[in-house]
Amino acid sequence: MKAPWLLVGRHLRAHWLRTGLTFGSLFFALFLFCLLVSLVTTLDDAIRQSADDRVIVQSAVSLFVDLPLDYQPKIEAVPGIERVSKFQWFGGFYQSREDFFAQFGVDHDRLLEMYGAEMGLLDPEGTVSEAGRELAQAGLDADRRACIIGEGLARQYGWKVGSTVPLQSGIFPMRDGSAWEFNVVGVYRPLKRNFDDRTIFFRYDFLDETREAGLCDGGPGVGVYSVNLAEGADAGQVIAGIDRIFENGPQKTFTVTEAAFQQTFISMMGNVPFFVGTIGGAVVFAVVFSVVNTMLMSSRQRAHELGILKALGFSDGAVGTLLMVESLLLSLLGGGLGVGFAWVSQEGIRVASGAYLPTYAVNPSTAGWGLLIALGIGLVAGLGPSVAAARLRPVQALRSEG
Amino acid sequence: MIRMRTVTKRYQRGGQVLTVLDQLDLDVPQGDFVALMGPSGSGKSTILNLVGGLDLPDAGRIDVAGADITAMSEAQLPAWRARHVGFVFQAFNLVPVLTALENVLLPLQLQPLSRAQRRQQAEFALEIVGLKDRMDHRPKQLSGGQEQRVAIARAIATDPDLVLADEPTGDLDRESANAVMGLLRRLNAELKKTLVVVTHDAVAAEHARRVLHLDKGVLAREELNPSPGQAAPAAGRAAR
Repeated sequence: MKAPWLLVGRHLRAHWLRTGLTFGSLFFALFLFCLLVSLVTTLDDAIRQSADDRVIVQSAVSLFVDLPLDYQPKIEAVPGIERVSKFQWFGGFYQSREDFFAQFGVDHDRLLEMYGAEMGLLDPEGTVSEAGRELAQAGLDADRRACIIGEGLARQYGWKVGSTVPLQSGIFPMRDGSAWEFNVVGVYRPLKRNFDDRTIFFRYDFLDETREAGLCDGGPGVGVYSVNLAEGADAGQVIAGIDRIFENGPQKTFTVTEAAFQQTFISMMGNVPFFVGTIGGAVVFAVVFSVVNTMLMSSRQRAHELGILKALGFSDGAVGTLLMVESLLLSLLGGGLGVGFAWVSQEGIRVASGAYLPTYAVNPSTAGWGLLIALGIGLVAGLGPSVAAARLRPVQALRSEG
Repeated sequence: MIRMRTVTKRYQRGGQVLTVLDQLDLDVPQGDFVALMGPSGSGKSTILNLVGGLDLPDAGRIDVAGADITAMSEAQLPAWRARHVGFVFQAFNLVPVLTALENVLLPLQLQPLSRAQRRQQAEFALEIVGLKDRMDHRPKQLSGGQEQRVAIARAIATDPDLVLADEPTGDLDRESANAVMGLLRRLNAELKKTLVVVTHDAVAAEHARRVLHLDKGVLAREELNPSPGQAAPAAGRAAR
């Protein structure tokens, strides 16, 4: 089909303000769409990618009520259990309260083994390897202040193996007002998308001994126990077995699968994921009208010119296609750049969100949907003007004001 | 070149049917230069639109360059127009976002020519109208007369059999109008183009070999001009 394609770019450039505003609205709409959908998928991924061979034991009263330390051997005695580790929320911050990320006191002698599928330890060359795991484990075993950190934190603060990380804790503040100091012995890279790269794991026994020695505030106990199941064990039976032991106290437990545990955090947000998804859809829906309006204005203003093209011998199809291509170009460029920006800004958003969205990521499918939506907007916006232009009779078009 | 037989064209306007052309017969031989004159609504522009294949008659037959265009479908007409007809309109009708050269190149895109041939032909057309040095100017950077000359260059760029001009001097001052009509006369005399020009302007019409007067959709009278264009400059001076 022979059409004066040069006109597409020329018109977009000639009406730069209108083009720019429409381009901008598409850019922001598609960026926002990807961002909001990614928030929802990030939360969903946390559940979907949870280990199905792990359960979490927490207090039946609340997640904020600690469990006694002597529960651990009793849990370990339940049939079908392979390993148990304490997970104690530290609630600390680095330098200022804005530098907030997760820190947990854990059983250092088993954490890396239990979370082998989630954490890859980096060797000195910066690659995930068994050597990296062995070095980190040796470091954890040798140093009471040892900790391992996610590579997101390492990148953000420039920490590396050998660095000392000073942290103030809101739950376990040092009585002399000084900071806790942890020595980095390993850097991990998440191997699953639901595992963030901005957490510090340190030795629970260091925390417990410091507290026992009266050097810090805070009570004894453990926030949750993370329990890896033995191969072939039935999670339902193990959960029932654990909760049955502590049915009569002193602290009743509430044991759930890791997926259900993640789900409780999302449930705390109520219907936010639904609203977020709805807003994303609404923004895109609204921008459709904006682009349709632009294309209608553009085609109406150019009726005269379209008449000239027809008089010169360009076919109805060529003239209609011209407007459709213009609409698609505008939508795909604006929308595509919005999707592209959402893609490249993932790391920035992860860092900016701090501990709130440490696993934020834009799925390729989300980006793909974004591009498809941009294409759809272009088609919808271009369809009316394109059909009208194709149907326009040259005599009638030439009579219209240009 | 043009043969119209019992051509009728009606329009619906405000619930009324207006007969703009009523059983019109018209012949324009190859190489002729005809001016169509008449009051508004007499059917001048309608003839041009029908002969150019921009519109279809309600009855009758129109043959142009040996082809019965009334038998063509609406899908066939654009390709036929691109091959056989060049248009010049009153309001210049250049595409404002394109340069003079790009405007002239537009109809050439529909011809089976290489890019270099198209450019060569467009530049030649601009040279004929004396605007090769302005080929990179946009329409708004040209005067009205220059714009119309670019429109003429566009109309002849494809070397059509027939050039149709609808009030080509309507928006021009006398000097520019004479220049444009002189140019059209040269196209007829030197390049042997068949020209049909609709005009209200008696001075402009003097450039034509024949002047056909229309009234209420029928041919009222015909005047022959033995020396086209000879009286125009004097008349032009008188008009100024």
